[in-house]
Amino acid sequence: MNRNLFAYIWSNSRREQLAILAVVLLSLPFYFVSLDLPKYIVNDAIQGRAFAGGKTEATLFAFRFTVPWWLGGSGTPITLFDGFTLERFAYLFALSGAFLLLVLVNGGFKWFINLRKGKLGELLLKKMRFDLFSLLVRFSPESVKAVKPSEMATVINNEVEPIGGFVGDAFITPVFLGGQALTALTFIVVQSPALGVIAAFIVAIQALIIPRLRREQLRLGKQRQLAARALAGQIGEVVEGISAVHSHGTSAYELARIDRRLSHLFKIRFDLYNRKFFVKFVNNLLAQITPFIFYALGGYLALTGKLDIGQLVAVIAAYRELPPPVKELIDWDQQRMDVQVKYDQVVEQFATVTLIPEPTQAPEPQAFRTGQVEAASLKVVDGRGQVHIDNVSFVIPLPAHVALGAEGGDGPDIVARILGRQLMDFSGRLKLSGYDVAAVPQEEAGRAIAYAGPETVIFQGTIRENVSYGLNLCPPADETWDHPGDWIDYAAAGATGPEDLDARIIEALRVVGMDQTIYRFGLGGLIDAERFPTLAVQTVDARRAVFRALAETGSTELIEPFDPAAYNRNATISENLLFGIPIGGTLAGRRFISHPFIRETLAKSGLTADLTGMGREIAATMIDIFTDLPPDHFLFEQFSFIRSEELPDFAAIVARLDRGEPPTADETARLIELTLDYIEPRHRLGLLDAGREARIVSARALIKSTLPADLAGAIEFYDPDRVCAAAPLKDNLLFGRITYGVAGAEERVLAVVQDCIVRLGLEQDVYRLGLDFQCGPGGRFLTPTQRAAVALARALVKRPCVLVVNEALVQFGEAERRQVLERIQEAMRGASLIVAMKTVEAPPDFDHLVTFAGPRLRGTLALGSRMGGGRVASDAAASSA
Amino acid sequence: MALESEVESLRAVPIFKGMDPRRLKLIAFTSQRLSFKAGDVMFRQGSDSDCAYVILDGSAEVVLETPTGPLVVSRIGSHSLVGEMGVITGAPRSASVVAVTEVGVLRLPKDHFLSLLEEFSQLALAVMRDLAHRLEATNRLLVARNEKAG
Repeated sequence: MNRNLFAYIWSNSRREQLAILAVVLLSLPFYFVSLDLPKYIVNDAIQGRAFAGGKTEATLFAFRFTVPWWLGGSGTPITLFDGFTLERFAYLFALSGAFLLLVLVNGGFKWFINLRKGKLGELLLKKMRFDLFSLLVRFSPESVKAVKPSEMATVINNEVEPIGGFVGDAFITPVFLGGQALTALTFIVVQSPALGVIAAFIVAIQALIIPRLRREQLRLGKQRQLAARALAGQIGEVVEGISAVHSHGTSAYELARIDRRLSHLFKIRFDLYNRKFFVKFVNNLLAQITPFIFYALGGYLALTGKLDIGQLVAVIAAYRELPPPVKELIDWDQQRMDVQVKYDQVVEQFATVTLIPEPTQAPEPQAFRTGQVEAASLKVVDGRGQVHIDNVSFVIPLPAHVALGAEGGDGPDIVARILGRQLMDFSGRLKLSGYDVAAVPQEEAGRAIAYAGPETVIFQGTIRENVSYGLNLCPPADETWDHPGDWIDYAAAGATGPEDLDARIIEALRVVGMDQTIYRFGLGGLIDAERFPTLAVQTVDARRAVFRALAETGSTELIEPFDPAAYNRNATISENLLFGIPIGGTLAGRRFISHPFIRETLAKSGLTADLTGMGREIAATMIDIFTDLPPDHFLFEQFSFIRSEELPDFAAIVARLDRGEPPTADETARLIELTLDYIEPRHRLGLLDAGREARIVSARALIKSTLPADLAGAIEFYDPDRVCAAAPLKDNLLFGRITYGVAGAEERVLAVVQDCIVRLGLEQDVYRLGLDFQCGPGGRFLTPTQRAAVALARALVKRPCVLVVNEALVQFGEAERRQVLERIQEAMRGASLIVAMKTVEAPPDFDHLVTFAGPRLRGTLALGSRMGGGRVASDAAASSA
Repeated sequence: MALESEVESLRAVPIFKGMDPRRLKLIAFTSQRLSFKAGDVMFRQGSDSDCAYVILDGSAEVVLETPTGPLVVSRIGSHSLVGEMGVITGAPRSASVVAVTEVGVLRLPKDHFLSLLEEFSQLALAVMRDLAHRLEATNRLLVARNEKAG
């Protein structure tokens, strides 16, 4: 990017700037005429100069001109338009109408120019952000480590914003406003050179003095900011160290320190007021004194006949037009300085990093399938001068499965990083199939080489999106700003389309041992009938099959089915009341109990007192159990019915109830709310008896039968013969709740469910539904093992020629690590796999073992396996340093 | 109510003896109440130590899987805590526990149990005391064997 802001703006928006400047210039004559016209209105129409000599009619808008003699004119005027002949009032109104028209035209110009200016600014802001972002993705791995992500986001997002706002003003504002000011000034000079000189003088004072005063104001403003920041810092420091202040009795000392700071701040602020009001005073004075001069001197000139009244009126009107543009010009200058500083900072920030070099060669991705990996004198020294690897050279024919091992030292890690293009600051050379690894263009490298490291990157989105992330390689033709196209390169994954790709993704997840998790996610997913028509249709069949299968194995006690006429003890009270799922939030969460219809229905069923009493019991128990626990303790979050900050409220409510005072409506609602998630066999507070259960079931019937029309869409009721689209697949399949308290109930039920799903041929759909699982920001909804598995699957699904696995399996347990590695080897059969380890023992079935001793290579060893599918070169135990 | 009776049972467990009843209530409330049928494997030797159990009623056998077949090491009954060793050390289960009769338990998940130890020094001390006693018992057993052998 250009280091000069104006040059950057000009080079990126020259044409548009010129177009707008042309419009600006075009607008100036109209502006001049609009200044000139009042003169004619006053002189010709009002004072009647056009009707001098008792004429009752006069000609208006006649257009004639005389060709000057030096152009060969004859001296007689040429008439282009004879004008209109109008009587006196019509004359006045016609001129006034023309003035109004000019006002509109000038307004139109202003509107048009501002609009184009704004658009120009936004376009360039978009381009600037894009430019910076494209620089960002080319940052070398080392530079990325050196920057703070939030800083970069702030730079691209916020800091360039004012620059973008300035772009439209950069050239146009000085020309537009300066042009207007000059036009007005010219007009005054034409009318009266004397008044023109005065006006120019005053404008000059304004333009020279005020920026100086303002600059001082700016400096003081910055000082005030610093002083305020220091004050805040000191207050914070005292608050944090208050115990030290107390124990040493230094309050007076601290007070004096703060007082000094406050006095300093006061001085700056007072100076600032001085400046501010002085500038205001000067501004006002200049604004007021000029009309005085104009009235006095202009009146004198008018009386002596050197200036007519019309001119005087017009000059005063023109002078009124003068200060705003000048003031805005001064503002523009200040903005320019501000923005220049910001721009310099942004450019600076991006100038200090190293970028991944522009590619020099673009090989076919498949070229990396064969050939050899060839390291020559690799050496990596970090910023502190520590040597990580030194003089590492080896040659191994590809495809091969290579284990990099070391006892101590980080040789395997470093070499894996270089191979995976995660480390570019090294000397020596690493060639893959004859190509310099660091110089391969990003896209080709992305297709051919996959790297899975210890740091996993999970983007916000579904598991599917995360695993297929590396396939986003085909720019779609139909992409618009509000409709992202499909970037997926299906062929790269060996798939024919989205559904087929899902199968590949599931396969990759199976390799990394995450298939059961995905299956579980699928059971927790909502059935989208449009995307999974078979599943939607067959879920009810599957539900019946599950129930039959449970009955056949004598396990019906493991599950309590939903029965419209019976209380489900393993479901929550709110589930029992609604017998369905709230939709759209009208009855969800807190709003459920505050809804008048629900409140009335509970009252009608005689449940208000029951539930309030239960709420009181729950509150009392929670207060008893959780009061002494630290507020951020995880048991609070997982188990308490009451949030820590609400405990005192509830303690007060319970105390009031214990004194025999009746609860207020709000307290009743809050107490009832506590009961909504209560499940007797799970929470075991002994709050439900047969009577209460029966009353809840009757309230359920009442809710359904008297549901007002405006709530018709707010609940999806459970129906044994229909799919409930708002409930997860698992609930739809079970149509009931797994019984609490029976050891292993869930595993046994889920095994039966899986069996039925497989028999009905729905298994793949459940997996695919599981791929819809949202990973959350940074993969927060996944466990570390799951994140590692997703990152590995991402590397596998694109079927790379070379897969580098560097500590990507550390999250897995030992037994699982071995199994996953075996399956990865199987999946990479015929391609190259490079695994960095922390031992020198090669796992089974590797072709080569490269070992390090400290930063140096100990040796390479051909192991005689044929996992890579290629020949085993017995001479591969090449040079060791 | 059920929770109260569980608290009573916890109070009878040696390491929980003398603990504040409110703490015991917290432990009971945050645990899962489960029942095993006779013959159910409560946990298997070599599997992950993901929880400890407090046996409320019924009895179970601690079984060591040896190369020569299963070997019943001991029998445990109500008010005993089982599986806490693995939770503390992080090692896999050192033996299997099989329900002999129907067994009612409180299941204390690993994270809860560890956080309870962290939070309440009283409990940590009790566990330490228990482990020290067991170590002492083992030592005595070893000495006795050595003497017998010698």
